[in-house]
Amino acid sequence: MKGAKWFRSWEFMLLLALVVELGVLGLINPAFLDVQNLLFSTSDFVHVILAAVGLTLIIMTGGIDISGVSLMGLASIVLGLSFVAGAPIWLAVALALGVGLLAGAFNGTVVANTDVNPLVVTLAMLFFYSGLATGLPSLLDMLGFKAYGAGGFEAYQYEGINGLPKSFTWFGTGRIGWVPMPLVITIVLSLAAGWLMTRTRFGRFLQLIGVNQKAALHAGVPVRRTLVAVYALNGFAAAMAGLMLTAYFTSARADLGSEALLNIITAVVLGGSSIYGGEGSVLGTFLAGLVLGYLRQGLLALGITSDVVPVIVGALLISTVATRIALSALNRKRANRAAYEAERAAVAAIGE
Amino acid sequence: MAPAAAQMPDQPGTSGAPLVALRGIWKVFESVTVLRGIDFDIRPGEVHALLGGNGSGKSTMVKILSGAYQPTAGRIEVGGRAEVLAHPSEAHAKGIYMVPQEPHIFPNLTVLENLVTGLEGERAEIRRRAGEVAREIGLNVDFNAPGGTLSIANQQLVEIARGLMRNARVLILDEPTSSLTRHEVESLAAQVRALTRRGIGILFISHRLDEVLEMSDRVSVLRDGRFVLSAPTAGLTADRLVEAMLPEDFDNGNGNGNGMGKGRSAPPPDAQGNRPSPAPVLEVRNLSSLNFSDVGFSVHAGEVVGISGVVGAGRTELAEAIYGLDQTAQGEVVIAGTPAPHRSPRISQELGLSYVPEDRHAFGLFLTLPTTHTVSASLMALRGARFMKPAQEISLTRRFVERLRIKLASPLQPVRTLSGGNQQKIVLARTLAPEPKVVILDEPTRGIDARARQDVYRLIRELTAAGMGVVVISSEVSEIAEVSDRVLIMRRGRLEEMPPGPVEVDHIAAATFGEAASSGEPGGGRA
Amino acid sequence: MSRIVKSREFLVLVLLVAMILAVSTVNKAVLRPITLINIANSSLFLMLIALGQMFVILTRGIDVSVGAIAGLSAVVFGFALNAGLPLPLAMVTALLTGTACGMVNAAGIVLAGIPPIIMTLGTLGIYRGLMRVLTGGSWIESIPHNIKALAVTRILNVPLMVWGVGALVILVAILMHKIRWTRNFYAVGDNSEGAYLLGINTRLTRFVAFTLAGLFSGAAAIVFVGQIGFVPMQTGDGQELKAIAAVVLGGVSLMGGTGSVWSAVIGALFLTAVDSMMIFLRIPGSWNNAVAGAVLLLVVVMDYMIRRGAQRRRLAARAAEMLRADDTDDGAGGSKSGGRSGATAGAAGPVGGEVRP
Repeated sequence: MKGAKWFRSWEFMLLLALVVELGVLGLINPAFLDVQNLLFSTSDFVHVILAAVGLTLIIMTGGIDISGVSLMGLASIVLGLSFVAGAPIWLAVALALGVGLLAGAFNGTVVANTDVNPLVVTLAMLFFYSGLATGLPSLLDMLGFKAYGAGGFEAYQYEGINGLPKSFTWFGTGRIGWVPMPLVITIVLSLAAGWLMTRTRFGRFLQLIGVNQKAALHAGVPVRRTLVAVYALNGFAAAMAGLMLTAYFTSARADLGSEALLNIITAVVLGGSSIYGGEGSVLGTFLAGLVLGYLRQGLLALGITSDVVPVIVGALLISTVATRIALSALNRKRANRAAYEAERAAVAAIGE
Repeated sequence: MAPAAAQMPDQPGTSGAPLVALRGIWKVFESVTVLRGIDFDIRPGEVHALLGGNGSGKSTMVKILSGAYQPTAGRIEVGGRAEVLAHPSEAHAKGIYMVPQEPHIFPNLTVLENLVTGLEGERAEIRRRAGEVAREIGLNVDFNAPGGTLSIANQQLVEIARGLMRNARVLILDEPTSSLTRHEVESLAAQVRALTRRGIGILFISHRLDEVLEMSDRVSVLRDGRFVLSAPTAGLTADRLVEAMLPEDFDNGNGNGNGMGKGRSAPPPDAQGNRPSPAPVLEVRNLSSLNFSDVGFSVHAGEVVGISGVVGAGRTELAEAIYGLDQTAQGEVVIAGTPAPHRSPRISQELGLSYVPEDRHAFGLFLTLPTTHTVSASLMALRGARFMKPAQEISLTRRFVERLRIKLASPLQPVRTLSGGNQQKIVLARTLAPEPKVVILDEPTRGIDARARQDVYRLIRELTAAGMGVVVISSEVSEIAEVSDRVLIMRRGRLEEMPPGPVEVDHIAAATFGEAASSGEPGGGRA
Repeated sequence: MSRIVKSREFLVLVLLVAMILAVSTVNKAVLRPITLINIANSSLFLMLIALGQMFVILTRGIDVSVGAIAGLSAVVFGFALNAGLPLPLAMVTALLTGTACGMVNAAGIVLAGIPPIIMTLGTLGIYRGLMRVLTGGSWIESIPHNIKALAVTRILNVPLMVWGVGALVILVAILMHKIRWTRNFYAVGDNSEGAYLLGINTRLTRFVAFTLAGLFSGAAAIVFVGQIGFVPMQTGDGQELKAIAAVVLGGVSLMGGTGSVWSAVIGALFLTAVDSMMIFLRIPGSWNNAVAGAVLLLVVVMDYMIRRGAQRRRLAARAAEMLRADDTDDGAGGSKSGGRSGATAGAAGPVGGEVRP
């Protein structure tokens, strides 16, 4: 009971932190108090939130997947290359998302069927997918696919692919009312993920697996299938994040998202999820992502160079976890002392 | 960590001051009293056997002796002096070494390194001593082989060697024979004899009565936190030991008040006086796997089948294979009339078979989550089941709280805050929620107090009255006798059914533990 | 001897040789001594980082900040050189920086109890950020020539640095063999509870492991600056992941307890060689990462399957033994109960032998 209450208040504290943060930043630069501006500026970092939401689902099971950042670039380049090869844009989008889904499913299959540490598996896949993304153009050339332009696919290796149709880029640059499309997409998907986690059996299975995988197996939970599915969902989210960035920058690149890993994991951990599994909140991740995103922009507005930002984010990550650990240790000490007192009293009562 | 100078008397023989003694030890956990002012000692050169059933306080006492737990009240004396053992390494320093049931081996380090890790001193000297000790106790393996290749018997010898190299005067052997072949048991017995000749005192914990009678000089039986028997082995029989271990309310007479154990193999006639033909709710035929072969039996609606056997006989492996946790098992399983060739926990539960695992912490509970989450887990995992809203979960849990008399403040409190007995009931609730037709209970009263144990027995009666079939696996003969209508004996992978008729404790003991136990002659201890 | 042959390090060495031979059929230039020397030379940076990572992984930890530590140490090294410090002193500053960074990691993980992945991910950001802060974002371009001399001078056509690092590796191997305390790394990783019960200071062991990882990353920075001649912002980027791949490849299990100095060496050589081979095969460099990832995945999955097979065989043998023992006893009938009650004089027999009733 105590744990749940504390946790609920963690999300509330995040909301509080967000408000305070914007207030403080607003004192320095009034632009932070302008709602329209706040909404527009999310397009810079909302892809981190989307990827972090996907990762939250995996972390619930006690696993991890760090290959998402490579999948962002891979999805982007798959989209671009398909487009350049003449596919209609919706097909290119479907291919890109499909690649993300399949890649995630592959990760999940290895994790579910071997006892290899998910960190190591997805570390290898981080390399692999990133290499695949950069190598795809030349591979397609070698395989004989046709691309527009005389240079073949190879030409797009370093430049990025431009000229994507407006029907696609609108999803990155367009708005519904005041709300930018990337934020809309992220909110919709986050709501779906939150619903999945709290209102479906699937979400409950994630939690049970995270707390005690063997007990989940004994109870009949389809552990293997669930794991493959959740890694696939993460792959899908990562691919979607990559496409969002592509639409926003109106350019498909293989190296999108490579800097984002630290931010993504910080958002998940700051959002209240436990790295050991069994505890997690999509809402928390979402709020933490906002806190982090605006923090970054605020620091830039303060004149702090973008080089320093990772220092602050790193420090924030460490201190968040340290605080959680300290709090739970304090709780445990208190419970132990209470138990010890009860013991003493019980023995005294027996009158020996 | 230098081996301490011997702080205990050195002379061999079973006379002399005790090597280590517990005086008036109490241990209370959060409102459950486990040990009630016990006195215990180990004398130089003796083998002192410790017996006790589930919930007796046996493992707690041993943990206090070995420095893993602190007593709530009372005194520990080493060599006559009061000492505090705050940590196992302090116990080592005072000459007490515990050989755990599962030895702590470093699988990737060499055998030699396994022996010498943690010891200080000149390398060559320690190596020589390790070789010496190993020769003394009969550990003849390649010192350069990886620790992971050691057989269980040799792993135990490594632990014993570690204790000897720390100049231990007291060795605690915790269920040392449960995974050994008979040859290995004999070798171990010989080692034990040799050790005692050097004046070392052995605390021998076991539930195998024949071995206890053969290897020990004194036997003490712990029950509900008190010693009910403590006497020289010469003059004791297996019957006497079993009797001592029985719970207070056990009646081994003709009617034991529980309505069970009467040797029925058919359900009683119903109101109209008709005797319905029993429907088998579980049939097992020719089931074989790594740890057992060619097992076959059946369970009918409304009956309790007890499977008796010592630890290591293969019963849990059998249960897991039936339930679907062992994909390599071969044979036939039919659940409530439906053949189940490809099983998994999910499928088994769907067909009507539930399984309560022996180790509830590892396999049965989600300790940090609210009790509702554990209770609803099996139900929610069934194919086609829907997600349960919190209110539904809470009411489901409340229903079981009432039915099973579970003591908790709120259904939402984490499982780990419950006592052992209540935790076991939560696991039961989980397995009963899908309304199974047959349930396998594996050591259902392990580590729970006497009152909760009675609740479990009562529940078993209720389940069978409602037409469920129940299988109870237990290594406590008294428990098997108390609850079973029919008894099966499992020995080293083979299952045999006891002849029909009244179920008697001594018959079961004889079949389970071996001929020595049933001979009725006093155990010789050691000549 | 057979233990060496059966070891993973030897296997990877064989694979390395096989790979080079295979590529030589396509491009003979690969077999020229200068090629192999260059491979060794290029692998030095990764090798040192891998060596540091080895200590951490032996104790069942992980450190993803070692690349950033190397980068930060390189920056400090560059500053020291440009400030006119004599070479040996400047090298010391690099090593001190690395050690300090490692100690910060150790403090957070061992003293505060922060999970290694989190702590080192955080310090990854911090150290990399510090790099940029210290340099103002620009590269350190001019490095005094004396350090480059170390890289360029060759004895027997082998660069001085290769000799130096080779000597260092051998020294570390000897120290690990001689100093008994280093076995604690293995014990703590193999069975930390058992190690604790036997009186080993597990906290100190893990603290030292992370500190050493920092120290060796500092050493790697020296090699890097010497070889490259300037310090770009990307120094160390991604090296931590490659270092993990290298040691795991070379036989250091992520479960702790196995592996050696030679694992780091052969793993680094192998991965560097893969990159070289791709050049000789004229595969575009953009595929390097994909190949590295595939290799790592294959290695860990195969390692899992081998372990599982070995465990299955052990369990089966054990079960068969237990079942068989029962057969012989039943056949012997009464000897079981009657025999042992009588006292047996005589010394303890060897395990598996018979004690005569």
